[in-house]
Amino acid sequence: MAKKWSQLIRNWMTQKMDLPPDVMMDLPRITMIGHIHIYIENHRGLLAFSDKELRLLLKQGQLLVKGKAFVIKTILPEEILLEGKIDQVIYINE
Amino acid sequence: MKNQWLDVISGVVRVKVMGKGIERFLNQLTRSGIRVWNVKRHGTEAVTFQIKLVDVKKIRVPARSSKCSIRFIERAGGPFFLRKLWTNSGFLFGAAAFFIILMFLSNMVWGIEIKGASPATEHQIRKELTKMGVKIGKLQFMMDNVDAIQRDLTDNVKALTWVGVELKGTTYHFQVVEKEEPDKPKVYGPQNLVSTKKALIVKMFVEEGEQVVQLNDYVQPGQLLVSGLIGKEEEKQPVPARGEILGETWYKSRVELPLQTTFQVFNGNEKRKFYFKIAGKMIPFWGFGKHQFKEYETESSDHSLKLLKWELPVTIVNETIREKEEVSRTYNKDEAIKSAKDLARKDIKNRIPEDAIIKGEEILHQSIKNGKVRLSIHFQIIEDIAKAQPIIQGDEDDRRLKNDGNSTSKPR
Repeated sequence: MAKKWSQLIRNWMTQKMDLPPDVMMDLPRITMIGHIHIYIENHRGLLAFSDKELRLLLKQGQLLVKGKAFVIKTILPEEILLEGKIDQVIYINE
Repeated sequence: MKNQWLDVISGVVRVKVMGKGIERFLNQLTRSGIRVWNVKRHGTEAVTFQIKLVDVKKIRVPARSSKCSIRFIERAGGPFFLRKLWTNSGFLFGAAAFFIILMFLSNMVWGIEIKGASPATEHQIRKELTKMGVKIGKLQFMMDNVDAIQRDLTDNVKALTWVGVELKGTTYHFQVVEKEEPDKPKVYGPQNLVSTKKALIVKMFVEEGEQVVQLNDYVQPGQLLVSGLIGKEEEKQPVPARGEILGETWYKSRVELPLQTTFQVFNGNEKRKFYFKIAGKMIPFWGFGKHQFKEYETESSDHSLKLLKWELPVTIVNETIREKEEVSRTYNKDEAIKSAKDLARKDIKNRIPEDAIIKGEEILHQSIKNGKVRLSIHFQIIEDIAKAQPIIQGDEDDRRLKNDGNSTSKPR
């Protein structure tokens, strides 16, 4: 219950105080350069990786990236840079 | 992203991970602070990625806890490169040797060029340079610098006014200016001019001295022409008599010329053969087969082979065989006389000085007998007949007597 409350407060604060939502709400920040690079910050770990699919754990739900010829250029505890031909970026919420 | 060049220098390892739960293993790696990059999937159960060489030891702990098998498949970067370099050190030595030889050769003197010097001076300069140690094949830093060479040359070679020494790459260029010493004027001692031949005087030009004979005089050999004593009867001054006395002289030439002559001439057919001569044995290596010449002459020349400065015990013999032919030449009467005259003229020209002129010629006798032309020709020549005769100082009376004696007659 408390978690839900804090979530609500954060949501409200970001809206009212114009703060960046990724900082306030632990959301992933995704930067794409065309369809060749995707840079994801604030992920919670690698779930599955193949050359056609990348599945990342987020704080809430998962992120699925689909495409071709995937190579992870860099992987750090909270960041990942993926290279390849990206077709889709899908949020999966339970 | 960080600059990966530093990683390359410290060494990079490519890891292949096989099995299940690879993603979990990767998460573990990143969480334990190992940088992972270039992750690629190979099939369903294999992933390759790169890590730093220093992180290889850290990978063990997470690897043991996972169910994956790990293999290192590629090593690259600094330490591995150095090891490779060591195993292929031949290349390294080759490269080093190349530079050393290049340095060595480019510091050698490869040429000495001397410009503006006469052959004699050039030879002298070369000798002086050799003495100084400036020679083809010597190292440049073993000898003096350009200024010292220049000073040495100007000091030691007398014929030089100035020499410019320039070192262009591996060649020394010498620009030479020679001293031009004027010819010393000839110094004559007191002298008379006397006749060398029996002659008729046709022209006289006396530069100094007292003329004794006249034009159209007939003089004997040894006769006084121009006296070197001038002045009054009692106080005569000796001077060097000089001048040109042209006289008409007479020569006789007898020529014999056969009407028919045979010559041996080469007709241009030739055959060349080459041999190796090793320890006295001739081994042919070019120009096989026998020649078909009836009459021939063989000419051979040897060249010894050299390797650097040593002479090899092998000589190349170059043999030329030329065919000979007999040619006969026949003159008719007129032709024979004409060529006999030419022959006589040539003969005369050999006997008289170069500046003499043939004034006239006269055939005295001419006959054709036994297939031969006989000709005797009389030539009139105009030439300088004066010859210097020094006046011996001191004993004047004696000299006068001697001169008188000379002037009478001297059988030729």
